[in-house]
Amino acid sequence: MKGYQEYFLRKLGWFLITFVFAFLLNFILPRMMPGDPVAVITQRVTQGMTSQTGVAKIYQEYSELFGTNKPMLEQFFLYVKNVSQGNFGISFSQYPRPVAEIIKSSIWWTVCLQFPAIIVGWLIGNTLGALAAYLKGGFDKVIMPVSIFVSNFPAFGMAIIMVVIFATTLKWFPISGGYGFDQIPNMSWTFVWSVIVHYQLPFWSIVLISIGGQAIGMRSMSIYELNADYVKYSRFLGINDRKIVGYVFRNAMLPQVTGLALSIGTMVGGALVAEIIFSYPGLGNTILKAVVGQDYPLISGVTLIITLMVLSANFIIEIIYGIIDPRIKATQAD
Amino acid sequence: MSNVMLEVRELTTKYVTRFGEDIYAVDHVSLKVEEGKTLGIAGESGCGKSTLALSLMGYYFAPLHYTSGEIIIDGRNISGMNPNDVRKSILGKEIAYIPQAAMNALNPTRKIIHFIEDVIKEHELYITKKDIYDRARKLFETLGLSADVLQKYPVELSGGMKQRTVIAISVLLLPKVLIADEPSSALDVTSQKMVIKMLRKLMETGLISSLIFITHELPLLYNVADDIMVMYAGQIVEHGNAKQTVFDPIHPYAKGLMGSIIVPEKGLRDVKLTAIPGVPPNLKNPPSGCRFAERCKYVQPECKTHSINLNEVDGGRAYRCIFSEEKLREAYQNG
Repeated sequence: MKGYQEYFLRKLGWFLITFVFAFLLNFILPRMMPGDPVAVITQRVTQGMTSQTGVAKIYQEYSELFGTNKPMLEQFFLYVKNVSQGNFGISFSQYPRPVAEIIKSSIWWTVCLQFPAIIVGWLIGNTLGALAAYLKGGFDKVIMPVSIFVSNFPAFGMAIIMVVIFATTLKWFPISGGYGFDQIPNMSWTFVWSVIVHYQLPFWSIVLISIGGQAIGMRSMSIYELNADYVKYSRFLGINDRKIVGYVFRNAMLPQVTGLALSIGTMVGGALVAEIIFSYPGLGNTILKAVVGQDYPLISGVTLIITLMVLSANFIIEIIYGIIDPRIKATQAD
Repeated sequence: MSNVMLEVRELTTKYVTRFGEDIYAVDHVSLKVEEGKTLGIAGESGCGKSTLALSLMGYYFAPLHYTSGEIIIDGRNISGMNPNDVRKSILGKEIAYIPQAAMNALNPTRKIIHFIEDVIKEHELYITKKDIYDRARKLFETLGLSADVLQKYPVELSGGMKQRTVIAISVLLLPKVLIADEPSSALDVTSQKMVIKMLRKLMETGLISSLIFITHELPLLYNVADDIMVMYAGQIVEHGNAKQTVFDPIHPYAKGLMGSIIVPEKGLRDVKLTAIPGVPPNLKNPPSGCRFAERCKYVQPECKTHSINLNEVDGGRAYRCIFSEEKLREAYQNG
């Protein structure tokens, strides 16, 4: 088990290094955006005020509150200290709500939408790909072109198509939101039902997109493995076909596990777009509002959380990968 | 006369391509291997050696298909058997196979011992893991392999080690016939030697009763085999004992093939190796007459129209040529 321990520590090391860099970028990038967000808030609050000294005073107060009047380095250490205590500061655009609270209220929407969608899409896609490789013939001839077609849709395109078909034309599902606009979040059945109904379109739009790519990848990997030398050899030793298919799909799965890590990575990019289109109350929408409102504590907070999620997902998958594929361990241990 | 372990009569198999064309890669091949003997099969690449190896197993899967002929292993005809019965009671137990690319013959994500468990459980239902382990360990030790190998993944073994592990796994169930398809190609010379030694040991210790050794390396074949068969374009063109076939071939193709061996001796620098011009015919539409006619120095017009039979000569030899033995020898004398 020594080799595995080394592999684990190495991966953990890389995880931490990546996290530190991501953290730094997270702090610096929003502060490099053009424009003065404090001025924007001051302007909003002081609308109609004529006293120049009054405006300047309010500007100064806000600067103090947000810490923007301090030197960059001091701001950074203050930020590190606060973040470590779970304090991401106060939102500019939704003043005076703390960033932590905004994230807390939206993160579960995103996690509950994206993770199941990605996992379901991955499972369905891989099953279809494996079947297409094994059954060949007509099944393959249908699955392949459909997969290629579907996987080339951008996330927003798929979302809009779903809205047009199922919401506007068929009126089966609501157009947008996480729950009915006339509801207040509680544990009643009407609310839960409303959440379920609103969940369907964004969920399936993400699932459909991930199915295609996974199916194509799994199909070609399976075909490659089915023709591998060990398949022929195992057959000639009398091992039954079902067991050989087991070998083949287990080996074909390995690169697909990386695919899973990557699609969790795309959560930040592609799939967040679906959230925005459906006005889903998740992180995607929050980050959009934050960018529009030049709300850098909120941007930093959200991107930090997303970075942490993606890095952790990748870390966990690499750890699992080391367990299921002996070759990875062997090459990394050298 | 000792027991015949494997007898093959007029075996014909074909590949069916994606476009539905039939390619007869093994065409009416007959052979016999006696107990304790090694049969060598020689020929250049693409002449059907490996396909013959696959066909001899009696278990076919696409794109290879059985057409006609009989395979008799130790008196038991397996040609008409249900494929599932062949799989359970013949493969590995009666006849076993060592693949050409042993490097990739093991499932990369399965420990050697787990793979061995899969193999044995397929043939013996009531056997415990411990018994399997003991048997595998004993076999490995007999063959000079460390028992530690059992607990390893294929990726942790060197090339030569993998090859020897594959050989050991192939003989787990003590097959009567072992078919080794170029077991030593792609190995360095030292590993090659170890593989050959191991194959010899299998025969000496009685783990196998007969061996079919396929290679294009003729000097190696001469060292290992008792009898040699030369294949060309899916057919046997010459058959005889090793010494005669290598040093005194009858068929023009065998003659050409043996002429391409380098013999390290004095004056080697001045010796020009003779190569056979051309390539083997495409078996999609094989020539109607002699298949070697296109490349033969001594070709006659009727070679291309008549199909040629295998002529038996004294001493259990046979060759496939329109000329008589004397006439061929005369032609070789005159260059």
